[in-house]
This record gives sequence, C-alpha cells and structure tokens, in this order.
Amino acid sequence: MNRLDGVKAAVLLFVAAILQVSIFSQVHVLGGVPDFLLVTLVAVSLLRGAIVGAVGGFFAGLIVDTATLSTLGLTSLVLTIAGYWIGRYGETTGRDRGHAPFTSVAVITVLYSFGLLLVHFVLGERAPAGAIVRGLLPAIFMNLILTAPAYALTRRLLRPRAHGDYATEVQLLG
Amino acid sequence: MLIIGALALLTISFRSPTSGALHDVQGYGATALRPFQLAAERVARPFRDVYGYFSGLASAKSENKKLKAELRDVRATANANLAAAQREGELEKLMRFEQGSKYPKDYRSVNTTVISYPSGPFAQQVTIAAGSSSGIRVGTPIVTADGLVGHVSNVSSDTALVMLLTDPDSSVPARDVTQGVAGIIRHGQGNTLILDRVSKAAQIQKGDIIVTQGTVDRRYPDLYPYGIQIGSVLSASTSDIASFYTVQVTPFAQLDSLDAVAALISTKHR
Repeated sequence: MNRLDGVKAAVLLFVAAILQVSIFSQVHVLGGVPDFLLVTLVAVSLLRGAIVGAVGGFFAGLIVDTATLSTLGLTSLVLTIAGYWIGRYGETTGRDRGHAPFTSVAVITVLYSFGLLLVHFVLGERAPAGAIVRGLLPAIFMNLILTAPAYALTRRLLRPRAHGDYATEVQLLG
Repeated sequence: MLIIGALALLTISFRSPTSGALHDVQGYGATALRPFQLAAERVARPFRDVYGYFSGLASAKSENKKLKAELRDVRATANANLAAAQREGELEKLMRFEQGSKYPKDYRSVNTTVISYPSGPFAQQVTIAAGSSSGIRVGTPIVTADGLVGHVSNVSSDTALVMLLTDPDSSVPARDVTQGVAGIIRHGQGNTLILDRVSKAAQIQKGDIIVTQGTVDRRYPDLYPYGIQIGSVLSASTSDIASFYTVQVTPFAQLDSLDAVAALISTKHR
C-alpha cells in the first residue's frame, strides 16, 4: 500500500468515526443502531488486507473513545480484531466475490456486538446480553443498507489491488 | 502489538477514568475532535429538524388540545405558587433559615449542544460541547427546559460526558411534590424511570410531579439542588410480597433526542 492510499484510508475512517459518534449513534430503530464506522472498516479491510484493517480499526476505535470520553482502548481492541479478521478474509477467501462485503458486515456486526459485550463483562461493567440480542437483527439490517454505498465509496477511493499483491496462502516454515 | 497497545490503554484508562496523564491526553484529543463533531452535528441538524417537523405534524392537533387544557391547570397552579413563594421568602428571612444553593436562583447556566450520543445499550451517556473551561465539573447537573437530564461523569477542558437518568449507574434522590413522598429515581424499561424505595404506606397517584430531593446522603450523594423537575408518575403498583411500591415515571426531558442542554453552575459556595 502506498502512502496516498494510507492517507485516504485514514481520512475515510476518521470521517466515518466522527459521523458515527455525532449522527449515526442517534438513529435507533427497534433497539438497533447502525454502525457506519464498522461498515467502512469492513470495506477498507476487504480492499487493503489484514494489517491495514487492524491499524485502521485501532485508530478508528481510539477516535471513538476519545470523542466520547469513554474508556480508552475498549473500542480499539474490538475494532482491531474485527479489522484484522475481515482483512484476512479479504486476502484469502473473500476477494473478487460480490457477496463478500455483505457477508462480512453481517458476520462482523454479530461478532463485534458480542465482542463489546464480552469486554464489558470482563471489566465488570453492565453487559446487557438481552438488549444486544434484541437489537442485533435491526442493526444487521441497517448495516447491510449502508454496506453498498460505503463499499462503493471506499472502492472508488482505494482501488482494488492487483492479484499478486494479496497474501494468498499460509506458508509452512522449516 | 496493536492488541497489546489497546489492552494497555484499556487498563490505564479503566483504573483512572477521570484523572491522570492519559485522561489529560484524552481531553486534548477530545478538544481537537470537538470542531469536527460540531460540524457533523450542524450538518445533521436540518435533517433532524425536518424529521421532527413531520413526525410532530402527525400528532399536532390532539397535542394542541391536550396542551391547552394543561395550560389552564398550570396557570391556576402558577398563580397560587407565586403567592406561596413570596410568603416563603419572607418567612425564610424572618427565621434566618440557612440552606445550600437554591435552584434556579443560585445557579447560572452554561448552554451548550450535544455532540455525541450513546451508541449502544452499555451506557446511557452523551458528550456535550462545554467542559472545565466553562466551569463544568464532575457532578454538575445537566438540564433542559423540560427537566433534569443527568450529571457530568467525566470532563475535559472543552467537552464533558453526561450520565443520563436512564443510565444503569444513575440514582437520583427524588420527591413526589404532590404527595410529599421521597424515593430514588433509577432507570426503568426503555426510556422510563422508576421511583424506587417508596414505602407501601405512601400515597402515589398517576400524574404526580417528581422533582429532585436535594438532600445529602452518604450512600446516595445528591448532586442536585432541590426542585429540578424530573418527570410525572405514569403508574404505581404493588404486590403482597413486595416491600416497596413500583412507581413508573415518565421523564419530562426527551432523553432519546437531546439537542441543546444547560449545565447548572452554582454561584453560591456551599
């Protein structure tokens, strides 16, 4: 990934994080909240791989935690894992598949919600599993609606890489 | 590396959420991000207003009729209260009655806007665009024109985190002014509140007005002055095995669509 791509991805995730905390977090539909940042992170990770996904997730989470004055590192931790995991999926299995962004968003919405739940539980904070489960379907639905425009915009800014640039398979050492 | 970094930040931030070097850095970061949040909020506001306008139109006629009836009742009560307030002031002077800051007389308000909202069920907290540079401290009460919203739980120089009444960790000593019954306001189902710890011997009726109690209790330190409106009683029920009433309260403030709020800064030293 060249420097310009890095700047574009950083700006994209920064804007997505600001929009998430200022606008999208206000939209409550049947207990679910759309997550524009997560959808954008999925798009960036699919197009640029695991390392960019993890770094992007870490810094986007840091922006969210800083802007909302909440516990630093909490969102970063979960988004780093989400970005890395989706990046790996994009590098190996998901590339060139039309359904990859939608599948990734649906799956990562579930994992991200339960990831946050787990971290809150481990920290001894309130972890309302019932509320999470109730809001999960509307959240997936809203995130899927956001996926097409977010992925199209990200793809326009970060052109898909050539096939040779992808990490293709696991190599055994020794 | 990144995961270790996130875990380290998490550990430090969790151990000292409202002070320390990391909190200061977070405060500078929040100050730097504030213009972007304000810009996003301003971009979104016209759309929110349009939505609010059309959703309000649907119920405008019936609401207008209801409000006219309410205004008649309130006007009569206000006239009676005005006379009583004048008498109370005179009596306090005669008795040299000592007390803490009185609301709203002994408070100045810092009017500000909400720049981020709760994004999930983990915490009911919003961020406002004013902080310690405006005189806001941890524990500062936050209100709207309708009633109490919550209090400040974390503060940086230009932003502050407000714990809403609907947050699971929020508890506000409160009083039913109509019946003179005291209790604790906690979060309930959805956007409702519960007036807890109300004795079964007490009389509670639908429509009773709940205000802040303004007392000091070691177990439930009261951050609010007496008399800030919280909400009205929606229902009151009890069972044979319960020790207390179950009192559901509808908050006056629209906690799920906050836009502008005011922080109450005491002008009187306690």
